[in-house]
Amino acid sequence: MLRIDGKLVACLVLLGLPGGASLAQEYTPQQWLERMAAAVQSTNYEGTVLQMQDGQSIALKVMHVVKDGVVHEKVASQEGDGLEIIRRGNEVRRILPDEQSVLIAQWNDRGGQFLDLPSTGVSPGSEYTVFIVREERVAGRKAVRLAIVPHDEYRYSHQLWLDTETGFPLQTQLQGPDGTPIEQLKFADIRLDANINASAITPTTSTEDFRWMAQPQRTISDSVDTPWRSDDLPAGFRAVSTHIESVAGREGEIIHILYSDGLANVSVFIEPAMASNRIARRSRVGASCSYSTRRDGYQVTAVGAVPDATVERIATSMRPQ
Amino acid sequence: MNDAIKMQISAFVDGELPQNEAELLLRRLCQDAQLRQQAAEYLAMGRAMRGERAISGIATLRQRIQAELDDVSLERAVIEKAPVPTRFLRPVAGGAIAAAVALAALLGLQQLAEEPEVSAPVGNNAFSGAVGASYSVAEEEDDPLRDYYLRHNVSSSNVGINSINPSVVTWRLRQSVVVEREPAENAADSEPAAGDASETNESTSP
Repeated sequence: MLRIDGKLVACLVLLGLPGGASLAQEYTPQQWLERMAAAVQSTNYEGTVLQMQDGQSIALKVMHVVKDGVVHEKVASQEGDGLEIIRRGNEVRRILPDEQSVLIAQWNDRGGQFLDLPSTGVSPGSEYTVFIVREERVAGRKAVRLAIVPHDEYRYSHQLWLDTETGFPLQTQLQGPDGTPIEQLKFADIRLDANINASAITPTTSTEDFRWMAQPQRTISDSVDTPWRSDDLPAGFRAVSTHIESVAGREGEIIHILYSDGLANVSVFIEPAMASNRIARRSRVGASCSYSTRRDGYQVTAVGAVPDATVERIATSMRPQ
Repeated sequence: MNDAIKMQISAFVDGELPQNEAELLLRRLCQDAQLRQQAAEYLAMGRAMRGERAISGIATLRQRIQAELDDVSLERAVIEKAPVPTRFLRPVAGGAIAAAVALAALLGLQQLAEEPEVSAPVGNNAFSGAVGASYSVAEEEDDPLRDYYLRHNVSSSNVGINSINPSVVTWRLRQSVVVEREPAENAADSEPAAGDASETNESTSP
C-alpha cells in the first residue's frame, strides 16, 4: 500500500507535478470536497455515464433535477436488459422492459440515486490523505483530479475528477492497493445545470401492462444496544448504527451493526447459526466483498466496499461482551 | 488508446481482423489493464452513441463462434473465463475463436452470452404507496448473503455516509451472481463458515 503523508504531498506539489497550480490551487483539497458535496446536492444535470466494474463497461443515461425541493432522477442502461431506475422524491421505480416488470421501493437517502459521494469525515489527519493530483479534462470540461489515499491497507483509494467551474464530480474511481481501478463512473458527456423538465423524467416505454411489485415488509428497529463488539477494529472505524432487523415470513432476527471510518462502510450481520442459512465464507459483488464465520452459535458476516482483509478482520473479531 | 487500436478492436468485433492480429490484440489486452479499460470504454461509448443495447456486429461474431465451438456451450465458456483474467491467456494459442471468446470476456461483452434468467426481486424497504389496483409482493430472496449486500448498501445510504457506490449496483444485485471466490491459502486454519462454501452461492440467480 502506498503511504502518503502531508509532507510528501507538499514535496510533490513543490516539485511541480503536472498541473498542481492555477485553478486547482484556488481551493484546498477539503474545500474541493465541500464544493463537490454542494454541487451534487444542487446541480441539475443530464448526460451519458460509463460505469466500469469488474472489467466491464456499461453506458448509462442519467438525468437529475430538483424541483420544489423534490429530487427527480432517471438512470437508464443503454445496453443489456435496459434497466431503468426512476425516482420521484422518496419513491423509486425499477423498470425492466424485457421482463415487463416494475419494482417499487422507498429511498430514504438524502442524496441522489445515482451519485452517492462521501459527505463527512474525510479530512487530512483522519485515516486518509486528500490532495490535488493535477488538472485534467473529462467530458470536454476542465477538471481537478483529487486523490483520497488511505494510510493503511484496510480501505480503498478514491480518485475524483471535479469540474473546476462547479465542483461537480465528472469521474470517480475506486482503486485497489496496487492502484488498479476497481470501480469507475465517468461522464462521457454532460450538461450541467441543464434546463430539464421534471415531467420528462418518465419511463422510456409504457409500463401500463407491466407486472408491478412491491417488496416484502421489513421491520427495522430503532437503535439498540447489543453485546456484540469487535475487539480488533481497523483504525478509524467506529459503530455508527446498530439495529435489529426482521423480514416477514423469515424466521429469526438479525443484528445489523454498521461501522464506518467516514468514507468506507462495513456492515456486520449477526444471526443464530442454522443449517438453513448456509453462507459462503468469502464472496464478492462489484467492489464489495464479504467474509462469514461462526462464533458462539451465531453466523457473523461482514460486508463492505473494502479490501478482503478488512471484512475478514472485522468478522473474525466480533465477540459478545 | 490510439486510433490503430480502436480500428483493430472495431475490426475484431466485426469479425474482420485476421487471426494473427487478433491474437496480438488479445495479448496486448491481457497484459495491459489500462488498455483493457480504455477499450471497454471505447466500445461502450460507441454503443451509447448509437443507442444500441447490443454490440454492433455481435450477431455475426456469435454465429462464427457458435459454429466452431461445436458442443462447447458458449455461455459456459464465457462464464468460466470471466472471473479470473489470467485464465484468458490459455486460449491464445487456440486460434481466433478462442481468442474471440477470451477478448469478449476481457472486455465484458456480456451480450455474447444469452441474458441470464432474472431472479425474483429483492429489496430492503417496505412500500405501501398507491401503485395501482393490484400488485404482488415479491418473494424474499432465499439467499441471505445477497440480502446482506442489499441491506448494507441501503443502510449506508440511510446514514448519509455512503461512499462512491452507485445505487445502480444495488438495483442490479438481484440479477447479478454472487461470485464464489477462491479460498484464501490460510482458510483451512480458520473456523469454517456454515456449510461448505463450494456448495453455496455458486449461482444465486434463480
